[in-house]
Amino acid sequence: MASDRQWLARRSGGPAVPPGSAGPGSADSGGPVVTVEHLTVAFPHRTGTSEVVRDVSFAIQPGERIGLVGESGSGKSLTARAIMQLIPAPGRVSGGRVLLGGTELGIDPRLKPSTWRGTQVAMITQDPLSSLNPLVRIGVQAAEMLRFHRGLSRGAARTRALELLAAVGIPDPARTLTQFPAVLSGGMRQRVALAIAISCGPRLLIADEPTTALDVTIQAQVLDLLEQMTAEQGSAVLLISHDLGVVASFCDRLLVMYGGRIVESGPTAEIISAPAHPYTRALMASVPSMTGDLPDRLASIPGSPPAGGVWAAGCAFAPRCPLAAPLCRETDPELLGVAEGGVVEAGSATAAHAAACHAAHDPSWGLVAAGGGAS
Amino acid sequence: MSSEPVVDVRDLQVHFRIRRGILASQTVRAVDGVSFTIAPGETLGLAGESGSGKSTVARALVRITHPTAGSIRVAGAETRRLHGQDLRAYRRRMQMVYQDPYDSLDPRMSVLEAIGEGLAVRGVARARRRAETEDLLRRVNLPASLTSRFPGQLSGGQRQRVSIARALAVGPEVIVCDEAVAALDVSIRAQVLNLLKDIQADAGVSYLFISHDLSTLRFMADRVAIMYVGRLVEYGTSRQVFSAPQHPYTQALIAAVPDVSAPEGARPARTRLTGEPPDPASPPPGCPFHPRCPAAIDICRTVRPELRLKVTGQLAACHVAPDQAGADAAPSTTEGSEVTSK
Repeated sequence: MASDRQWLARRSGGPAVPPGSAGPGSADSGGPVVTVEHLTVAFPHRTGTSEVVRDVSFAIQPGERIGLVGESGSGKSLTARAIMQLIPAPGRVSGGRVLLGGTELGIDPRLKPSTWRGTQVAMITQDPLSSLNPLVRIGVQAAEMLRFHRGLSRGAARTRALELLAAVGIPDPARTLTQFPAVLSGGMRQRVALAIAISCGPRLLIADEPTTALDVTIQAQVLDLLEQMTAEQGSAVLLISHDLGVVASFCDRLLVMYGGRIVESGPTAEIISAPAHPYTRALMASVPSMTGDLPDRLASIPGSPPAGGVWAAGCAFAPRCPLAAPLCRETDPELLGVAEGGVVEAGSATAAHAAACHAAHDPSWGLVAAGGGAS
Repeated sequence: MSSEPVVDVRDLQVHFRIRRGILASQTVRAVDGVSFTIAPGETLGLAGESGSGKSTVARALVRITHPTAGSIRVAGAETRRLHGQDLRAYRRRMQMVYQDPYDSLDPRMSVLEAIGEGLAVRGVARARRRAETEDLLRRVNLPASLTSRFPGQLSGGQRQRVSIARALAVGPEVIVCDEAVAALDVSIRAQVLNLLKDIQADAGVSYLFISHDLSTLRFMADRVAIMYVGRLVEYGTSRQVFSAPQHPYTQALIAAVPDVSAPEGARPARTRLTGEPPDPASPPPGCPFHPRCPAAIDICRTVRPELRLKVTGQLAACHVAPDQAGADAAPSTTEGSEVTSK
């Protein structure tokens, strides 16, 4: 889909950005690559609109690896699509903004997505079969971005594509260039998608469930490769997954989403060793461990995740939360810093480790004492 | 668990013929000599990558796929040649829960009709079916009020519970769960796994639990079998296989699981498998794992290893892992009882 658009753009006017020149948000400052501020995404329906992403804010620093975890319907994929300006109609960004470098996206109509998609921010999805064009040989698709964005000649693009495919571990790159996506295995397709995504050296790579469809040994290979390729280019990564194990093994920082909101954020090690939000704790407890003794029963969360956009009043997790008190059903808790010992830091909305939970902010609930340091 | 196994599979073979070009065809040994037993009330976990043949084993067991050779004995009776009435009777003892309840439930049948079908098979009178359906729904922790709903009106977790209730309606001795929780959200998955354990404690049903997720298997299974390209490569108790895996493939599978609860600072040592599983239509000679195996030696490239009893007590098909002293290359089928002992 993106490739169609680029193809059209090329036909109708050639590259908007000559190779090497700065698009929006290029490496001009030490600031974040992408900043998401109070992002809200709404979908209209018969009786009104539902907000499927609500007031989400975070920043991604150059080279950083951030994990976005949540169950289906939590809003994690739409957050990523909002960054790419790819919210499917009739949905729209109804509040907040996305900044690329210092430039707000979606305001200036001259700032076409084709000037920054692929070169500044690139994306790989769960199933490369849906992002690769099934009717176009891989060689053409791999060279397309290089020719359009980098202005390479046909031959130079082919040479570079060969290098990229070899770098992502495709056994016979020359042959693969002549093949169609359908003949490749899932792991190989994901490698091709990764090679294409990084071909123009994006400053941020969004990977939306990139290994969910893959076997566990292939998943490990693709994650290693993702780590290696982005480290070489200094690209930041936003890794989206429902699997806390996958993001925890890969990311420096985690964002946990529930009901369209970020309910906990912080350094991976801190969240894993001392999760502050009851949802994060429950998520961790509901995955059986590979080491140590196993319980007879898994700790499970009663009920199901809320269906997209229909939230209870107050905290969206309250209906399933073992700690929920009347306050939780009335007031949606803010995302505030959690410090050791349960002391809320002043003005702590930007604290390193933050949670949106009344219980996590008030030591008298007993959550902090019970949970601090517990695993 | 010393009683007669409820399922006793010996040397199961399932071959498919595939066309290659206009005249040529080729035999794919999707399952190539697999033997295992399941005791009453026991869970046997079966793991392997896609293409390993684990789902084909499941389909052969419930006779969606016809086995090419080998024996499948259920409660002592050979079932491989059953057909017609006898096959239908057999399927009453053996039910299957699939990965995707969106596909396995008829969208135009209400919950009552879907579960009622299973009750009808068991011979429950029409007048009793509503009451029994409500009973079954309660057993899978769903409100009895769901009987009139259609699958489209249910969440994924609810659908999978209805699938389980429908399997239970027939009163089976064995339920084959083929990736039954893979499509569910993490928080729902734990509920369904607990439910399956409760049902087992309650009804004494046995499970063949197929999953690519080893942490789920470790939680569910009493014994575990690991498959690679149509054959078992390791077979033992859950404790043996997870705490002292003998086959390099099992070791790699376990190492590849990202584990949140692993001690801090220990992003585990990255021993990665290179390459992908071979094409089952043309597996490599010798040990089919040797092209990816970090421990492969010369013999692995020419001689296919048989399942043998290893020092740690489980069976593994590997030349490199040390055999238990005095263990002969006995066919795995006769070793089943030994593996069962905990």
